[in-house]
Amino acid sequence: MDLTMISVRGLSMRLVSGGRGVDVLTDVSLEVPAGQFLAIAGPSGSGKSTLLGLIAGLDQPTAGRIEVAGIEITALDEDALARFRLDHVGYVFQSYHLIPTLTAEENVAVPLELAGEPDAVPRARALLAEVGLTERAHHYPVQLSGGEQQRVAVARAMARRPALLLADEPTGNLDSATGKQIIELLVAVNRRLGRTLVLVTHDAALAAHADRVVTLRDGRIVSDE
Amino acid sequence: MTRFVLTLAWRETRGAWRHFGYFFACITLGVSALVGVGSFADSLERTVARSAKSLMGGDVEIRSTQPLPVDATTLIAESRGGGAQVTRVRELVAMAQSGPSRTQLVELKAVEPGYPFYGALVTDPARPLPALIGDGRALVHESLLARLGLRVGDPLRVGDADLTISGVIVKEPDRAVGVFSLGPRVLIAAADLDRTGLIRPGSRVRYRTLFRLPDGHDAQAFRDRLAEGLPAAQRVTTYTQAQPGLRRFWDQLTMYLGLTGLVALMVGGIGVAVSVNAFVKAKFPAIATMKALGAGWRPLLSAYLLQTALLGLGGSVLGALLGSLVQPLLAPALTRLLPLELTLSFSPRAVLGGLAMGVGVTLLYALWPLLQIRRVPPALILRAEIEPRLHGRRPWAAVIPIAGGLAALALWQAGSWKIGALFAGGLAAALVLLALGARAIIALARRARWRSSAWRQGAANLHRPGSHAGPMLVSLGLAVMLVVSIALLERSLRGELVDRSPGSAPAFFFIDIQPDQAEPFARLVAARGATAPAELTPVVRSRLANVNGTPVATGQKNRLEDAWYLTREYVLTWAKEPPAHNRVVAGRWWTPEEAAREPLISVEEEVARQLGVRIGDTLTFDVQGAPVSARVSSLRHVDWRTFTSNFFVIFSPGALEGAPTTFIATVPARPEQETALQSAVVAAFPNVTAIPVREVLERVTAVVDQIALAVRLVAAFSIGAGLIVMAGALAITRQQRLYQSVILKALGATRGFVSRVFAVEYALLGAAAGVAGSVLAAGLAWAVLRFAFDVPAQWAPATLLAGVLAATGLALLVGVVGTRRLLGRRPLGVLRGE
Repeated sequence: MDLTMISVRGLSMRLVSGGRGVDVLTDVSLEVPAGQFLAIAGPSGSGKSTLLGLIAGLDQPTAGRIEVAGIEITALDEDALARFRLDHVGYVFQSYHLIPTLTAEENVAVPLELAGEPDAVPRARALLAEVGLTERAHHYPVQLSGGEQQRVAVARAMARRPALLLADEPTGNLDSATGKQIIELLVAVNRRLGRTLVLVTHDAALAAHADRVVTLRDGRIVSDE
Repeated sequence: MTRFVLTLAWRETRGAWRHFGYFFACITLGVSALVGVGSFADSLERTVARSAKSLMGGDVEIRSTQPLPVDATTLIAESRGGGAQVTRVRELVAMAQSGPSRTQLVELKAVEPGYPFYGALVTDPARPLPALIGDGRALVHESLLARLGLRVGDPLRVGDADLTISGVIVKEPDRAVGVFSLGPRVLIAAADLDRTGLIRPGSRVRYRTLFRLPDGHDAQAFRDRLAEGLPAAQRVTTYTQAQPGLRRFWDQLTMYLGLTGLVALMVGGIGVAVSVNAFVKAKFPAIATMKALGAGWRPLLSAYLLQTALLGLGGSVLGALLGSLVQPLLAPALTRLLPLELTLSFSPRAVLGGLAMGVGVTLLYALWPLLQIRRVPPALILRAEIEPRLHGRRPWAAVIPIAGGLAALALWQAGSWKIGALFAGGLAAALVLLALGARAIIALARRARWRSSAWRQGAANLHRPGSHAGPMLVSLGLAVMLVVSIALLERSLRGELVDRSPGSAPAFFFIDIQPDQAEPFARLVAARGATAPAELTPVVRSRLANVNGTPVATGQKNRLEDAWYLTREYVLTWAKEPPAHNRVVAGRWWTPEEAAREPLISVEEEVARQLGVRIGDTLTFDVQGAPVSARVSSLRHVDWRTFTSNFFVIFSPGALEGAPTTFIATVPARPEQETALQSAVVAAFPNVTAIPVREVLERVTAVVDQIALAVRLVAAFSIGAGLIVMAGALAITRQQRLYQSVILKALGATRGFVSRVFAVEYALLGAAAGVAGSVLAAGLAWAVLRFAFDVPAQWAPATLLAGVLAATGLALLVGVVGTRRLLGRRPLGVLRGE
């Protein structure tokens, strides 16, 4: 692949908690070519979720720079970051993070509406059909099982066909059978549509599906294979 | 067990002050409104009580529209013998003239030596009274000088008497009328009044006889002795009952202000319920744990009730302090209505009442959410649920004591069964209607097909599980209802007074026209610019002597207030046809033949109701000593809003023949002709009094404005409470909002979009509260105008729209300010923390 989707250079993140500074990430550098399926592995607290969040522009690093799809996101202000996420990133969280006041269909429609795209709701319904939830379109998140909620979240992440799909322990709250369905969905997106997929997991079996596995420990990359 | 309750209550309170900020503010605001009004009422009461003797001008007073009967002189002489001092005062309205063209309606007062027994008449120049009046000298109020362009030393003609102005009255102790007076005061000596020629049969004069008792004499016993020897028409009162009209006015005004303040506390109570509900929900795991450890629900409920009471007490104490400080704010708003120099004082009674009210409202509103404690399953500790399912059913039976308790508080505040019950009933109806309206509006907002995503999400927020849209809507709606209905009432009443179409009201009422003056009077006004012939109506002054042969005086003497319809003066007239704006509602109007057979009367329906009089009953009137009996043949409904002479009792023609009669006249005139017409009448008939309608209406309007200002001031507390409830509910949902805001941002929403979602939510909420509150206000205003004032409501779309816009704007402001700080939060940390 010629194109670089993600370029991380000298990234550090220091958080202050309880009056004490904690180095969550220290001098991390990483290149991810477009279309790759990358797994970021490591024990809990190793900084892998923080790295993923920073790649999505959900926070600003203490030091270092990040480029995604050729955009230097570490130089963007908050509203520009929001626009960047809307156009380039789909994000799937461990605890789904659906908007509780909206139905499944409306949740999926949100990114389309934010982008001002036409026919947001019918398209959201089509996306739900792709994840097999047609008949649950009018249910609220509390009325859905964990697996269903996560499928809604995947549909939402895919709504704008982003070039980069980020998934943070997407199966962490699910039983293994349901988790498998979610991973299959994500892998299909990567394989069929050629989207770049970065998956954070501490599950070695899951990481084995990936093209490449980067392992973090105490905020540093300890292996890249 | 008690120890457990106390310790638990203390521990929970200790850590929860911050949590209960809004709870506190709700109670504080409500109690401060109540204590403010209560302290003001108390200060007023004390001021009036302290100045009671000077307000009356003596220890005991005999007051009547008739002179003392001849045999009363013995009574007076006896009391003199007992060491009492006696002086007489006569008061009437009259016309003052200065030159041929300047005339002015004045309140004339003639006094004898000794006046006033209490208080001081302050004059400029400051000299003793005998040095300023008598021998044709008159003291006048400053405003008369200004109106007639006069100075001290100038001549002034009143009736047939030529007077010289000797000085200015700065303060008159027993004139507690303020803006209710008809004109400036002119004070003269008794002998000079006789020279005016104004005291004629049928003249409208108030006779007052004042007594000053030697120190240590029992005024009440003295009064009772006097009353026994006098007819009922002579009202005898001690200084403790001085100025009953003034007191009644203030009692009523402060009662309504108090109830207006109570609305603020009731709105605040909703905030208490919302806060307590959130607090209890957060405590479910702790409660489950304590239950698992063996605590029963009763001690737990007691502990949390105690804690709530403590917080309510804290908020009430702060409210009482603030309320005592509010009092001086309320006073200036009403000062112009107040003839006395009000001494503001700290009122323990108002403070204690406010504390009781604050704690009572707190507990009653908190009880419903606290009862959930009973239904928390101990098994909750085994699994963490976001929205835990409680066992058992909602204790609907508890609604009865809660509603009953709140109604009891309203009755207590009103101090009247009828008004208290009306208030409680109205409040309950408003709450139910608002709650139903809230549900309907929320459901509609959710169903609506919003085209914009921000609008859809804002509307969806109203609908979320655990949303506080319902209580917010009810509390703000209640406050909007109060404020808008006050605005509507004020508008309609003002409109009734001011915005009359020209020509619908006469320019003048002329009173005390003697029979021989009637015809020349009519010719004169026709020649001097009246736009229509003068309408002359004969009047005969009388007292009600007996009903169906039972004298009205017996057993009634001590109940002044209730006996008003029995002992008041009845101004009688006679007529062939029922007057315009009168409608016979029972019996029928007399034919000439019936009228010729026996004396008949037609009685106004409300008077008949008060007197318990029916068709066929016989009423006997005392017409200056002579009894006149007549049978009731019809009852009438009178439209009092018309500016014509209306009468409680109308006789058939011929029945009052020979009684001392005067005429009153209504005369329409163009405004620019009014002054000349008045001057011409006064010059030709010095004894005739002209009452300019426009001026009187302006005075009444000024009173309405002052009252409205005070009521608005107190009502503002409700709006404050409503906004605090909103802000409190917003604070409770802060975590949910933060969550929603960061998800939206993670999905690519800008801060602008997120703030639009919240703005839409609050604007919708405000608009819904505004619409619901304004609709209810229109209904309430209509009912009050229809049933209390008998005035048609004016359709005021601008006022209603203003209510909706203001509610929307204020709610929006609360929403924007309350969520502003959420917007800056970076998503990653918040989402990871979930």
